[in-house]
Amino acid sequence: MQLAAQAIILGVLTGGVYALMASGQTLIFGVMKVVNLAQGAFVVLSAYLTFSLFTGFGVDPFLAILITTPAMFGLGVAVHWLVLRPLKHEDVGQLSLLVTFAVALGVEGVLALAYETTYRSVQPGYENRSWTVAGLQISEVRLYAFGLSAVMLAALYLILERTRLGMAIRATVQNPTSARLLGVSSERVAALGFGLGAATAAAAGSVYGLLYPFNPGSHYDLISRLLTIVVLGGMGSVGGAVVAAMIMGVGSSIVAALASPIWSDFTFFVVLLAVLLIRPRGLFGARARGAL
Amino acid sequence: MAKLQSHKCWDKRLRNRRGTAAAALLVAGVTLSGCASSPGSSPSSDSTPLKIGISLSLTGDFADPGKAAQRGYDLWATEVNKRGGVLGRQVELKIVDDTSSPDQVVTNYQNLITGDKVDLVFGPFSSLLTIPASRVAKRYGYAFIEPAGGGPKVFDQHLDNIFFVQPAPVVKGGDVFADYILSLPADQRPKTAAYPKLDDPFAAPIADNVKQRFEAAGIRTVYDETYAAETADMGPIVTKVAAAKPDVVVAGTQIEDSYAEVKAMIQQKFNPKWLFMSNGASSPADFPDKVGYANTAGIFSSGDWYPDSPIAGTKEFIAAYAAKYGGNGNAIDNTSAEAFASGTLVELVAAKTGKADNATIIQTLHSGTWPTLVGNLSWNADGAPNGSYLLVQWIDGRLRTVYPPDTAQHPPLTPKPQWAG
Repeated sequence: MQLAAQAIILGVLTGGVYALMASGQTLIFGVMKVVNLAQGAFVVLSAYLTFSLFTGFGVDPFLAILITTPAMFGLGVAVHWLVLRPLKHEDVGQLSLLVTFAVALGVEGVLALAYETTYRSVQPGYENRSWTVAGLQISEVRLYAFGLSAVMLAALYLILERTRLGMAIRATVQNPTSARLLGVSSERVAALGFGLGAATAAAAGSVYGLLYPFNPGSHYDLISRLLTIVVLGGMGSVGGAVVAAMIMGVGSSIVAALASPIWSDFTFFVVLLAVLLIRPRGLFGARARGAL
Repeated sequence: MAKLQSHKCWDKRLRNRRGTAAAALLVAGVTLSGCASSPGSSPSSDSTPLKIGISLSLTGDFADPGKAAQRGYDLWATEVNKRGGVLGRQVELKIVDDTSSPDQVVTNYQNLITGDKVDLVFGPFSSLLTIPASRVAKRYGYAFIEPAGGGPKVFDQHLDNIFFVQPAPVVKGGDVFADYILSLPADQRPKTAAYPKLDDPFAAPIADNVKQRFEAAGIRTVYDETYAAETADMGPIVTKVAAAKPDVVVAGTQIEDSYAEVKAMIQQKFNPKWLFMSNGASSPADFPDKVGYANTAGIFSSGDWYPDSPIAGTKEFIAAYAAKYGGNGNAIDNTSAEAFASGTLVELVAAKTGKADNATIIQTLHSGTWPTLVGNLSWNADGAPNGSYLLVQWIDGRLRTVYPPDTAQHPPLTPKPQWAG
């Protein structure tokens, strides 16, 4: 029982961090119908920025988010403007896969040149602390990370629900033609949506660097996880991504702790397959088109 | 090169027969003395550079260790040239990039041997590249002294030209820890053991070998699970290990999972009496940086070279390295030392036989024991080293040899101190 409880705690805290990463991924798909294969690379890039800010200037990883978030937002807008905007509308779904993968490889290459391929991690001094509650260990940094994810997701929700930009994004998701007729610049919304998606990678990257050792190639594992979370949750649904991330976090953790770690990732894919057989659009895919 | 030299001599002898008797006698005398010099006379007879071809991963997945190997090879060449070279011949390295690709490495050695006509070759980085490269070398009769291909499949090829420049095959990395534990009086040995293992040919077999010996000695297995290379989170694995309450944890790790495992143990306040990690923990350059110096205390690993190694030549190597590349001993990757030791073997063979050709190197290295920076080396017929690694332990922020007793710098620190947090 103790073992299961500890595994659930670990899974929930890990799931929260993945929810943050995957929310940006699914937002970009919702707005632009673009599968952004560079989201994992954006997370790793943010982890490196956090690493440099911490080792070079002593900036705490959680404070670094104030710097990395606007930087990643700018990068996201720039990437959209430079490589996605020129794509013809009818081809954007397929071509964006190649283009964003190229962006991911470009980011990886630049990071390998700048930082080499050695593993790095951000060590502010509190990364290993934990609280003991009823015999269970709760990692401080994971709890902070979970809290940060909740705050960022809430901010994302407020932006989408309470701002003109959010309204424009939702309108574009629901009906791009009508939105355009009502004066919404779909290109501008797409650029800002892509920027917003990349900005979520900034906070996620800071947390990722605290929790795991990383190198420029870490984005391959990350993107495969993010894609499966997004597909399970329903492509385009931020709420679905959060639920799917929790299922992945808790499911993997319980299987690893109670059965065998070799099956933990496989189990998630079994769940994914089962859900897709019953609901081909994912858990929240069907109504997500208009429910960002 | 031996073949090329003998061909040259043979050609000269043929030409000499066509001249006048007097000239033939005179020239033949000079030529023969020149030819005779290569099998074991004065080193000054051949002043052409000794060209050594090496393919290394200077880009791609193995770029960092590839560059570490390059530094080791270059340093050896610099040092040996300061001493007058090998048999009076200055060493000239030709290093080409294989981009960490097993296909490119084959092309590179083919070109080095047939195009550049190098005299000798040294090995690339990793077993993945060493296997195809060693076959090319074998085809042309080249010795294949290699510092970084120690996986079982390298030796399963049964090639007589391979010499792995580490004290033991990689999968035997934990045997010295088993030796140490089983040397303890029965009542002081651990009663239970856990084996969390990465699904990797250079990690899991190390723990499996230890487990086999522990179980034979009556140490009960309470956890034995393999995790996938994609496992990002070691938390749940450590949760289950901790719940099994083992006295000793033998972790079959590579690099990043060793860091993650230690961090998860600290966060879950799980501190076994003995903790052995097959890889990751043996790097003075990276391990303390990733887990914190204070948290390294008492962790065991094994290795062949580290800055405080008791093996002769270590201090000189560090000084030469620092003079050439800057930094201190902690910044040196053991791959650099292993590459350096590869060159030492050529020097030793040349000093013993007066020759530095491939046939002589292959024949000579197959007998005797060869003292290098990474230990006294000898090999079986397949190129697998016969020795064992040193058991090292983190004590006061430094790696110290703690077993076997004849090379130990410090008694083993047990039980493992508590995590610093």
